[in-house]
Amino acid sequence: MHPTELDPAASGHFEQFGIVPEVLDQVMRAALSLGATDCDLFFEHKVSTAVALSDSKVNRASTDVDLGLGVRARVGDQIGYAYTEDLSLPAMLRAARTAAAIARSTPGLAPVALSPIHLPSRYEIETSWSDVGMDKRVPLVRAWEERAFSLDSRIEKVQTSLADAEKWILVVRPDGRMAEDYQPMTRAHVVCTAIDGDVRESNSYNLASRAGLEFYSDAERIERMVQKAVERTVFLLDAGKPVAGDMPVVLAAGASGILLHEAIGHGLEADFNRKGVSIYAARMGKKVAPDFVTVVDDGTIPGARGALNVDDEGNVPERTVLIENGVLRSYMHDEISAAHYKVAPTGSGRRESFRHHPLPRMRATYMDPGPHDPAEIIANTKRGIFATSFSNGAVQIGAGDFTFYMKTGFLIEDGKLTRPIKDVNIIGNGPAALEQVDMVGTDLMIDEGGWTCGKDGQGVPVSQGQPTVRVKSLTVGGE
Amino acid sequence: MSLLDSAGAAVELAKGMGAEQVKAWISTGVEVELQQRQGKLERVHESSTLGLSVSLMVDGRYSSHGTSDLRPAALKAFLQRAVDGTRYLEQDLDRTMLSFEEMGSLDPASLDNDDAESINKRGPEERQLAIKELEDAILSGAGEDLVSATSYLWEVRSQSAAVFSNGFQATQARTHYGQGGMVTLKEPSGKLPESYSFFNASHFEDVPSVAEVSSDLWTKADEVRNTSQGSSGKYTMILDRRVASRILGAMISPMSGGNLHTGRSMYLDKLGQTLGSKAFTLIDDPTIPRGMGSKPFDGDGRKAKIRPLFTEGRLDTYLLDLYHARKLKMEPTTGGTSNVIMQPGQRSWKEIAKEHGRAIRVTSFLGGNSNPASGAFSLGIRGQLIENGEVVQNLSEMNVSGNLLELMASFEEAANDPWLFASYRVPTLAFTGVQFSGS
Repeated sequence: MHPTELDPAASGHFEQFGIVPEVLDQVMRAALSLGATDCDLFFEHKVSTAVALSDSKVNRASTDVDLGLGVRARVGDQIGYAYTEDLSLPAMLRAARTAAAIARSTPGLAPVALSPIHLPSRYEIETSWSDVGMDKRVPLVRAWEERAFSLDSRIEKVQTSLADAEKWILVVRPDGRMAEDYQPMTRAHVVCTAIDGDVRESNSYNLASRAGLEFYSDAERIERMVQKAVERTVFLLDAGKPVAGDMPVVLAAGASGILLHEAIGHGLEADFNRKGVSIYAARMGKKVAPDFVTVVDDGTIPGARGALNVDDEGNVPERTVLIENGVLRSYMHDEISAAHYKVAPTGSGRRESFRHHPLPRMRATYMDPGPHDPAEIIANTKRGIFATSFSNGAVQIGAGDFTFYMKTGFLIEDGKLTRPIKDVNIIGNGPAALEQVDMVGTDLMIDEGGWTCGKDGQGVPVSQGQPTVRVKSLTVGGE
Repeated sequence: MSLLDSAGAAVELAKGMGAEQVKAWISTGVEVELQQRQGKLERVHESSTLGLSVSLMVDGRYSSHGTSDLRPAALKAFLQRAVDGTRYLEQDLDRTMLSFEEMGSLDPASLDNDDAESINKRGPEERQLAIKELEDAILSGAGEDLVSATSYLWEVRSQSAAVFSNGFQATQARTHYGQGGMVTLKEPSGKLPESYSFFNASHFEDVPSVAEVSSDLWTKADEVRNTSQGSSGKYTMILDRRVASRILGAMISPMSGGNLHTGRSMYLDKLGQTLGSKAFTLIDDPTIPRGMGSKPFDGDGRKAKIRPLFTEGRLDTYLLDLYHARKLKMEPTTGGTSNVIMQPGQRSWKEIAKEHGRAIRVTSFLGGNSNPASGAFSLGIRGQLIENGEVVQNLSEMNVSGNLLELMASFEEAANDPWLFASYRVPTLAFTGVQFSGS
């Protein structure tokens, strides 16, 4: 177990680097020295380890240590940002003064005494990764490989890997807020190559969570991971491509949350809206989807890859209802956008590392369950595709056009799943696609995979989920 | 302590802990980025950075590591953990490094990609004036449909030193200067299409003027106004020079040792075969002065050299680093590309398109992916419908799909407009009979 609430008498994890209240006060004063109206100090210490198997040998490992401070000085919505990997006081003061230069007046704000804020506990773990030696990791990736080979004789090669990270962050604000959080993460990956005659295909499956070593003691979970990696690979051997064009698309429950992420999620990040460059900028309070569509971005799901006890600006993340019964209710806010809209931050201010400034970002984005039986959704589709797994997506925020890449799926013909299909890009327009959601299943599932969201050159871990959903028409890139 | 000395000290430290082979890289850099919108600075980002990477062989076992915590005691503990952890792995002697005699480097000065003098040419005030000028130039071209215009300016200098335990030592430094802009436009439909233009160069003097950036940005903005979905069908694809790297990169990726070794390559057993059309010739040239991908040596420490990738459609080489070459029992080449070059043709893309009746000019990609094992690809696009060489409709919400091997065979001609502001120095490319999906 790791503490998520600081004892005011202790300086926490970063004390070992000389980060004590007096130092924090000095650095904040430097960041505010030229008249900035606010600032934040973001300390990060991250230790990552990965071990990988290929050619039936556990023959590769890596470790990375990232340590540093990012200083942001703000004047309204203007920001000065600097970082340093050197946590000596002179280096931190230099970074703070560099960031401070966004302002050009006399200091008006002085930091008050720091006080730790109470944080929830959304990723309690039993075995911390720093207590896990290489000798514990190696047998895991070997067992996954052996199981994969045993499942199908067409499997030609298997690669497995286990990655984990422990990240400590400390966010300090001049209003006295101080939040330290321990953020574990782990990800397991099984990649298979299968061969059948002249056809060779490769595919994979992965699991991710804010969890410790105990995550891998769930035999059912591990079996599911390996089976899915194998099944998804051999599936490709017999799959073809659909005919190109517009058609109904039924999205299987789970990772199809990528539709929400791309078609809706990014467009509801408040920075794009306060600048007026999102297609959703003038739609707050308006009907944007059928009544049975409720979309949420949630930082509170225990153990989820997108879960957070505190965001990277020192706010406690919440469950944010973005679209409620078809009506647009909220954007995802960082502090700059929250001030612009005169609302409370939603705890969505996130950054990739101390080298980056925070932005409004998604955490775990999903659609609440709807009224339709998933089997009925397929049965009611005369002709279309059923998309079951996905690799990536993208969106144009202003135009609203989005895509996601379907790795595996089926043709739907006369209400039945028929031919297996693969490797097609699906494109649509966000608001139009939302309006065209005509069936939502009862079977919400949050995907267990390791999704990473990219924005403005920064990647952050996210989760996504969805029940089975039908969109009346999207453009499918087939033959 | 110099970078070379620091890297050398890390090598000695790791050797002293029991590593028999060590490669160490120290890198440092300074970067400045400015972003301006609506007449004021939106963001100023200025930092310096320092980091160490090492790869180790311990008892024939391999691992790699990186850290930004370079305090002596922390570094020592970090390396000790790295060495100790490596002992739990299995032996893989294919990771053994080359001998000193097999390594080498071009003279970094011959690449002329370090314009160090210009990095301090402008102070904060001058940079703020420069981005104001850029914003003014962009706004001078704006129409009533402008919603937002953001201007960007950046300067980056990075230096690195490599020291290997076999005595190999090398340094390199490079700079990037650039500027650009992004505009969001308003359409009656409610859509807010975006357009952008960015230029990146290794020398300050090679960055186009603010007037050129503005002109280019507004030319590109014309391509995204009032888009609609075109009809599904087969068209000649005119692949714009700035985005051709997306397709060419997907064609090159399966040449890598990693993909070949794991069976994820459409080129397995096809080395030396003619796969593309006669017009399809690509080379990799790391030696180009001021080239954005130029480099004096590769990741294995071998001297960089020019290498044909495809000649008249024939697959000339795999991209094999030492490790994967040994796994595949082949001769190593190099682990990746540097500057990918296709020689320009004689005609403009419009002249080429005129011969093809109906064509789609792809100006940007949106998402999508490709399958390196089968060559299947499917990508979202924006572009223009071209009839007899003239633009008749701006397009969006369309996909282009097919197989990369078939696409390579359908390559017809390169235009005369190579793009020189990226590591893919290629002109606009024409492919025939390409499947697009839309309405």
